[in-house]
Amino acid sequence: MKASFEIFRYRPGEKKRFDTFQIELSSHATVLDALKLIQETVDPSLIYRHSCHHGSCGTCSCIINGVERLACLTKVTELSEAVVRVEPLRRMPRIGDIAVDPSPLFLEIDPRWSYLRQSETSRLSAVKAVSVQSHDPNADHVTARHISLERVRFESCIECGSCVSACPVGEDFMGPAVLALLNRERIKRPEQAPILLKRAGGNTGVSRCERALNCSRVCPTGVNPARHIMDLRRALGRNTT
Amino acid sequence: MKKIRVAVIGGGGTGAALAHDLVLRGFQCTLLERGELTSGTTGRHHGQLHCGARYAVGDARIATECMAENITLRKIAPEAIEFNGGLFLALSAEDEEYCAPFLSACEAAGIPAELLTSRRALMIEPELNPSLRFAVWIPDGTMDAWRLPLHFFATARHNGADIRSFSEVVGISIESGRASGVVVRDIRENQHYTLSADYIVNAAGVWAKEVSTLAGVDLPLRPSPGTMAAVQGRLSERVISRLRPPGDGDTVVPQRTLSIIGTTGGVSKTPEEREIPESDVDFLLSEADALIPAFSGARLHAVWSASRPLAAGGNEENDRLISRDFLCIDHEKDNGIGGFVSIVGGKATVLRAMAERVVDLICEKSGTHIPCSTKEVKLLSHRSFYA
Repeated sequence: MKASFEIFRYRPGEKKRFDTFQIELSSHATVLDALKLIQETVDPSLIYRHSCHHGSCGTCSCIINGVERLACLTKVTELSEAVVRVEPLRRMPRIGDIAVDPSPLFLEIDPRWSYLRQSETSRLSAVKAVSVQSHDPNADHVTARHISLERVRFESCIECGSCVSACPVGEDFMGPAVLALLNRERIKRPEQAPILLKRAGGNTGVSRCERALNCSRVCPTGVNPARHIMDLRRALGRNTT
Repeated sequence: MKKIRVAVIGGGGTGAALAHDLVLRGFQCTLLERGELTSGTTGRHHGQLHCGARYAVGDARIATECMAENITLRKIAPEAIEFNGGLFLALSAEDEEYCAPFLSACEAAGIPAELLTSRRALMIEPELNPSLRFAVWIPDGTMDAWRLPLHFFATARHNGADIRSFSEVVGISIESGRASGVVVRDIRENQHYTLSADYIVNAAGVWAKEVSTLAGVDLPLRPSPGTMAAVQGRLSERVISRLRPPGDGDTVVPQRTLSIIGTTGGVSKTPEEREIPESDVDFLLSEADALIPAFSGARLHAVWSASRPLAAGGNEENDRLISRDFLCIDHEKDNGIGGFVSIVGGKATVLRAMAERVVDLICEKSGTHIPCSTKEVKLLSHRSFYA
């Protein structure tokens, strides 16, 4: 299948522009596959970020036809427009072409905030395990070693920057990703809640949110930052009354 | 005293661990990666933190190494690992027969293993194939293939390493039989420059053969492209494998809210990626169903491929028979080119050990007497790389 791409080109000190590419792709191809093909066969100077190719690392987030998406999970055939327009994320310093420096995302994240969380499936498994047990009166006790350990998984937020780019609030805002991670930390470590809430209640915190909800709309992993911001706002309300 | 300069070629897991080890031992390190960090094989692997059980029968050295590194990585980078253990499932009479040699090989490699009745296995993992005969618990886990290397990069950079992405090495300068520097194409600035170095380490993974050619030497390396498929939903907490010799599509690795089946095997002559055959996906999904019947019914999330850089010199056609062990090659000894070292093969789990071996060699050659401390030094958060 033939596909047309308009790709944002940028180098420090140069005028930005869009370059057009016509390439032949398979029907399964993602936008990331297309970028790779263009870079390998047409223009080796094309710069873009990528790593995992399955939506876990968050490096390939960019603006595809006006919407923040992960290039690795966006199939070209799923896009309705005739030309696929690829641009770098907003609100991040540009490295070159599609690649941005995601540093602004991390400046307000306390390095002590844990990236691990309890796995929800643990609870699901426990429910199912009980039902297995109840069907079998002779079921022996499961050794503590294998189930008593809390099952963990990584936080859902892959720190891709999509929400930050899509948020209409500009400067002086911690941003949706940081507030979502802050709220997750508050849930995981209640003893830290007062300090965390104080941060969220500061000048650059939740009060700056304009409730556009773009963050939750573009989040590729369903973090729903807007809901976390709402949670924080509610908790702050309780604290002040 | 002037620091000894080391240029590392390749920003994958091995390069990350190398940069960290080098600066800890007082070397000046510049790392060159032609794309984004971990944009080759490292970032794309399915994330299994091996305990070595998979390789215990037949590849004992890498199994022992995996177990040791499994413990070390959990200590130095706990936030990059979902450590929930793993189960090997016996689904057939053949699998049952494999159990005895499997258990004794695990014991020999120092891998704790414990038999679980099918009932117990199903209690802790309700989505498993209900016809399983029994399971063996082993200490596997899941790593974040991007964030674990980033822990190393963050710490290395904090300690003074110069990490340069979008910087491709296009030449290696040789002066009187010794590698003296690299020619770098700065893709961002669209210019070339030469970087002098006292030692050059080729950690280019599946591209290591191409890099070694720049210095006029050949490497024993076979690219082995493998396909992986992820479905939505975490169908198990633990890594689920088939109790049989390593084969294609016999491991399900859970990660966040995804379940990943990997991988297909095979060998290739070039590191370049190929189109993923449709048959790979059908094959993987049906193999996954043997372990977790709900797998193929879950929503397909992504299909991708990565090439393992296997260390092998011959013409092996069956990649499963090639050891997963790694080789540290001293090109001074092998090819008469001083100051040039290559590291090939290995698994993501043993990235730290691979770096240790290389830096030990550079210490020996340069008369540096500083022991490795990367087993003990706790790594900075992946977020510190940017903050």
